[in-house]
Order: sequence, then C-alpha cells, then structure tokens
Amino acid sequence: MDFYFGLAQIIGVHTLIGLSAYIVLLTGQVSLAQAGFFAVGAYAAGMLTVLAGWAILPALAASALLGAAVACAVGFPALRVKGLMLVIATLAFGEGVRLFFFNFDYQVAKGGVKLGPLGGEGFRQIRYFPENGWTTMDVMLFIWAFVVLTMALLWWFDRSRYGAVLRAVGEDELAAQSVGLNLTAVKVSAMTVGGAIAGLGGGIYAHYTTHIEHASFGILLATFAIAYPILGGLGSVFGTLLAAVFVQGFLVEGLRFLGDWRNLLFGALIVVAMNVRPRGFLDAPTLLWLKRLFARTGGGSGAA
Amino acid sequence: MLDFLQALSDGVLFGATYALIGIGFTLVFGVMHKINMAYGAASVGGAYCGLLVLQVMAGAPPLVVFFCAFLAGGLLGWLVYLTCFHFIPITNPLATLMATVGMLLLIDEIIVHTTAGMPMAYPAMFDDVMLRVGEFTLRGDLMMVFAVSVLCMAGLLALLYRTRLGLATRAVSQQTVAALLCGIRVGQVNATTFVVTGLLGGIAGAMIGASVGTLSPLLTTPLTVKGLIVTVIGGLGSVPGAIIAGLMVGGFESVLQLYRGVTERDLYVMLLLFVFLVFRPGGLFAAKGGRD
Amino acid sequence: MALLELKGVSRHFGGVRAVDGLDLAVEPGQVFGLIGPNGSGKSTTVNLVAGLFPLTAGAIAFEGRSLEALPTHLRLQAGIARTFQNIRLFGQLSVWQNLWVAQNSPEDRARHGFLARWLGGQSGARDEILPLLEFSGLAHKRDELASNLSFGEQRRLELARAMATRPKLLLLDEPAAGMNSEEVGQLRERILSLRGRGVTILLVEHVMELVMGVTDRIAVLNFGQKIAEGTPAEIQADPAVRKAYLGGEAA
Repeated sequence: MDFYFGLAQIIGVHTLIGLSAYIVLLTGQVSLAQAGFFAVGAYAAGMLTVLAGWAILPALAASALLGAAVACAVGFPALRVKGLMLVIATLAFGEGVRLFFFNFDYQVAKGGVKLGPLGGEGFRQIRYFPENGWTTMDVMLFIWAFVVLTMALLWWFDRSRYGAVLRAVGEDELAAQSVGLNLTAVKVSAMTVGGAIAGLGGGIYAHYTTHIEHASFGILLATFAIAYPILGGLGSVFGTLLAAVFVQGFLVEGLRFLGDWRNLLFGALIVVAMNVRPRGFLDAPTLLWLKRLFARTGGGSGAA
Repeated sequence: MLDFLQALSDGVLFGATYALIGIGFTLVFGVMHKINMAYGAASVGGAYCGLLVLQVMAGAPPLVVFFCAFLAGGLLGWLVYLTCFHFIPITNPLATLMATVGMLLLIDEIIVHTTAGMPMAYPAMFDDVMLRVGEFTLRGDLMMVFAVSVLCMAGLLALLYRTRLGLATRAVSQQTVAALLCGIRVGQVNATTFVVTGLLGGIAGAMIGASVGTLSPLLTTPLTVKGLIVTVIGGLGSVPGAIIAGLMVGGFESVLQLYRGVTERDLYVMLLLFVFLVFRPGGLFAAKGGRD
Repeated sequence: MALLELKGVSRHFGGVRAVDGLDLAVEPGQVFGLIGPNGSGKSTTVNLVAGLFPLTAGAIAFEGRSLEALPTHLRLQAGIARTFQNIRLFGQLSVWQNLWVAQNSPEDRARHGFLARWLGGQSGARDEILPLLEFSGLAHKRDELASNLSFGEQRRLELARAMATRPKLLLLDEPAAGMNSEEVGQLRERILSLRGRGVTILLVEHVMELVMGVTDRIAVLNFGQKIAEGTPAEIQADPAVRKAYLGGEAA
C-alpha cells in the first residue's frame, strides 16, 4: 500500500509544479523558470525546519511567499521580453538557480551532526515527517490537501474576471491592451501566483524526499512543469491534473514492466499527442461540449 | 597571461561547433519563427549514426564517419520536421514547442537505449599534431574541428546567398505570405531548411565527438542550452550573429573555467545570459525585421 | 473645446511619411469621418491616437490633456476605445468573457471593490453586460466561443467590446469592411444610436454609403496629408477630393 501512497505523493507534487506553470501559460508565456522557484522553495523550507526548527506549516507558508517574491522580482525584468526570448531567459534563470545551489554551502552543527545544504552533495536529512511520526499515508493526505486547495483556488480564478483577463492576454496582447489591460501587471501577477505554487510544491517535495540536490531541479523538471498543462490542455485546471496522473502514474509507474522502453514511449507519446490534439486534451471547445452534454442530460453542474 | 591566451584560443576553436549549432536554431527560427528544441539531440544522434559505419566497416577512416554523421543529421532533420512541424497547425506554437521537446526526449532515450548509456569513443583526425610557439600550443584536432566548421559555414552562406534555393529561403524568412504569393512552395522550403540545418547539426555533433574524444547522451542538454544561448546572443534569425556569438561563447566559457572552475563556470554564463536577454533582447546583431 | 485635437501630427516609417503634418479637431458628440484612398494614412492616424506607436512629430490632446506619455491601456482608461480593421477578438473566450475583460473604465473601477472586480463571478457584472449583449444582438450567443461566431457577429461583438469600456471617444477602423448592404444598414443604425448616447466617434471607412449617411463632418486624407475637410455635402462637391479618388483631372 505504501507504494501507492508514495506514487500519489509524487503525482501530487508534480501536479503542483504543473499548476504553477499553468497559470503562467494562460497569459501565453512559456516559463522554464518554474523549476527554479521550486528549488528555492525546497531549500528554503528545508532549511527552516531543519536549521531553524520551524514547524512544517509556517515553513511551507514561507517557502510559498519566497517563491512568489522571487517570481515577482524575476518577472518584472523578464516579462519585458516575450515568446522565445522569454523561454530562454527563464531557462537561464532556472539553470542559474540550480547552479547556485550546486555551489551553495550552509552547514550548521546540530547535536554533533553537520546539517544543511552542501553544494553538489545536496541537502540531506530533512527529516521533519519521520521525526514527528507521520506515516506515508499522513504525508500523502497532507500533500493532496494542498493540491486540492491550489486547484480550487485556480478554478475559482478561472471562473472570475481575473481568469478571463489572463486568457485574454494570452490570446492577443494588442487587443488586451486596447481594452485597457496593463500587460505587465497581468503577466507579473500570474508569474507571482505561479511562483507561490512552485515554492509551496518545492517545500513539500523537500520534506517527503528528505534529500534534495541541485540535479533534481534541472531542465527536465522545468520541461515537465510546462508539459503537464500543455498536454492536458489549457482549458481547465483538471487538464494539468489528468496529465500529471497520466504521465507519472501510467507512463512512469504503470508501464514499469516495459523496462527501458517506457522512456522511449514517453517522448513518442508527447509527439503523437501534440499532432493529434495540438491544444491539449481539455481545450476550450471540448469543455464547452462537455458543459452542454451535462446540461442536456441534466447530470448536475458538471465539474468542468 | 599565457594561460589566458591558451584558454581563449582553445575555447574559440571549440566554439566553432557552438556556432554551427547556433546557426541551426537561428535558421529554423528565421524561416518558421519557431524553435526546434530537438535540434541539439538530433545533432548528437547524427554523430552517433556516423559511428554505425564502424560497425559495418571496422577501421573506416574518420572522414567517412564524419560524412555519414552529416547525412544522418540531414535525415533526422527531415524526420523532426515531419513529426513536429508538418501536421501541427501554425497557430499552435505551444504544440510545436512541446512536440520538439518530446522528440528531444525520444532521440535521447533511443541513444541511451542502444548504447546502454555508456560513452563511446569517437574518431578524430590530427589528434597527434601539436603546433607549438614557446609555451603556447594549438591542438591539431581542435584546428581540424575549426576548419571543418568554417568550411560548412562557408558552404551554407554560399547556399543562402548564391542559389535559388537560398533566395527562396530568405524570401520565406522575410515575408512568408508574399513568398507564397510568388509561387514559392513554403512547405518545401521549410522542409529543406530542416534538412540543411540537420546536415550542419550532424557535422557539429561529429566535430564535438572528435574534439572531446567521446560521445555521450549527456551531451544533448548542455548542447541544446549552448545552442540557444548562441542564437539569442547573436540575435534570433541572424546567421553571421550566430557565428560570432558561437566563437565568443566558446572563448568566454573556456576563460571562465580557467579562473572560476568548472562548477561555477556555468552559473556565470547563465546569469550573464539572463542579464543580456532582458536588457539587450535584440542580440548583438539583431536581424532586421526580427519578430518577438 | 475639441474632444480630440491633433496638431501637426506626423508619423514616418523609414522614408515613408504615413501621416504628415495632420491637423484635426473632433468636437464632442460628433461623428467624424476620416476617408481617403488606400495607404493615405487613415489607419495610422487611428493607431497613433490609440497609442500603438509614438509620434514622429506633433501633438495629440484629448480633453485638453496631452496623450503623449500615456501607454495604450491608460488611453483607454482616459476614455478612448477602438475596433480593429481586421477583427481582433479573444477567440477562445466566450462572448460574455470578451465583454467582461473590457470593463476597465474608471466607473467600473469605482463601482466594485478591487477583489470583487477581479475575483467576483459573472453575476456581479450582469447589469453592465446584458444591455451590451442586447445592443449587439448577441444575447442568445453569450456562452459561445468568439471564434465560433460568424463574421458579422464578430464585428458586432468587437463594437460591443469597445462599448464595454465606456468610451467618450470611439475609434472605428473600417467597421463595414466585408459587410453586405443589409449589414451596413444595421451598422448605421448602431452608430447613430451610439451618437444619440453622446459618444463621439472617429470613423475610418471606405464604404461611402455609410460615411455619407452618419457623419457630421469629414476629413479627406491623401499621402498622409489632409486635402479637404467639411460637411458630407461639401466633401462630395470638392474637386480636390474627386481628383484624389479618381486620379484624373479635377472635374
């Protein structure tokens, strides 16, 4: 059973980082910086519980705030450029953060053991959960509480004017300006919310793996972050969840019997999926269709 | 001072391969306004295909290996076009971006799978030659890499500026719709661009293998990142810009490595790139009419 | 005082003088027509007033205030809205959402609190949006995606979206392009109804049937310069205008 709880933990954290990219993608910007915000959150939360002795909730709150602050600070200069230049600028930022932690030493002796981040060795012994007697199931439920909370928040955004504004900027920047929207403010706000979600996800990740190192926060993680919402479709937050479950649950774990071939399948599936459904699985027309289907059969309000 | 010069010259010579990769990214961007994230992986893949010759014909001369890498690179370029660009509507930039990322992972994994992830030795030429001027040396293999790369760039520039195909390519890159109205088959030009950049990539991959001495799937990610950096610094869509930026990045990174060590080197490169991008987004030599 | 005043406005693109020393004064409540052959600088003028690119020379004042330092989105909040020559809707947004995101006028900001304005649901904006849907005849399509609308409906939605910003001045860039004569008739009714509500309109148009029917005053551009200005009747009789349009000698 613990195996499935562990899997659910991975899916939960990946959903969070996917959601952090989702809100930025709504404004039409591709950010490869999400892994960087994630790393900042992971190291910050880890250091707060291990070195400063904070409890988990305030540590996570701090990592989310820090992620938001870093994202906002990066967003202001970075969002002056758009399209491909932004992809590369955020890539550079994300890699910069990773390399920073690669060179980052901050060790404090505690009870005869030296604890804290140690460059390429990483940051070991983030043992808040085991020390406080949490079972795998407790941790899993804890993670999913945050996933549900985040999804609820983004779903609410989506139904509000803010969500429509984000999408309007993503659709046509010139037209958005012409109806009085401040592009910079809208994009930076999305980046900030995304940074908070990524920081939160990173903080959670640091505690359930207990050992973080710079290599986990590389380009691959940044790519996964944008892959979930793009594959799942930008029509709804549920697309990102679906994609994370599909990729981490089915492709990575479910196909384990295929051995190495599974990795081949992953790349190929992305290519095929993008050819068949360029707008992702849950796009706006599909959602509209689903909504009407539910309305016609009278099957309740419909989650989408 | 001597150390500095040595590091700089080695870096600039090796930088010629970065220039080739940068040209590949920049040409595709110029013609289609899309980025081909699979390009670095396809280049390494092409270089690996070159090694297949050694399976068939043990002890084949390095030149044959390089030539096969060149051809295989072209074929891979066409495959990438077909799978990631041909069928996906142009109005969906995210889908093409993601598809090329998928292709990157796929090529990477095919390499890992067939070689069991082990680095493979790559043949080189003139690796026993050393030019010495006092303490200062020029490695023969690096000079060969530089010479081959320069030859390829010259060939490309001749193709772009001296042939009808090049004219059509430049026309599409400047005004796609107008080119279409003039009877240029844009789809065909796009496909050709991918083949040409693929050919260049195959050579670049082979040259990197030759100067490092081994090929490994671990090369693809740094190569992709370096290629993007070169493209951006040179200005999106500018071929001469990519050449100069490639040599610059090669020299710069080699010098930084000398003074700051290999672990810190990339950190400075990344920070510099971020600052560069944000405050000089047009690149060193921004191409006229370059869009976002 | 004129609502919109252009003084010696020029915009050069390289060597091309798209607009060259243009003076215009649009009085409040007017429907002001801007006509001229293709490439005479009409759309450039609209884009300059909307703030798409900076002036090469001259000054634009709106309600007596210089617009120079105002970025596009603040010009809208000052009361200048526009439609585009080639329709630019938010295609993957519903009709309702297209109107909703446009509510950035000072009145809308004052009406709802910050949180309610950004994070409130659709019902909060009912009173403002329903009349716009009625006005543009799109009430039955409120949940349809904008990209699924017909051409004529898209034009109507774009006009409604501009109205959702509660403009004092509305810039219409060839709103009748591609319309049949029945649709042009409907558009004419809409423009006159907007005028009745006190909205000032700057109308760029080729369809003379529309221009002559709704405008109070017309300026004619050729090669970026104003060659005539007057009432529709005066313009129709002006020899310089006929020359610019027909290319031959003045009749």
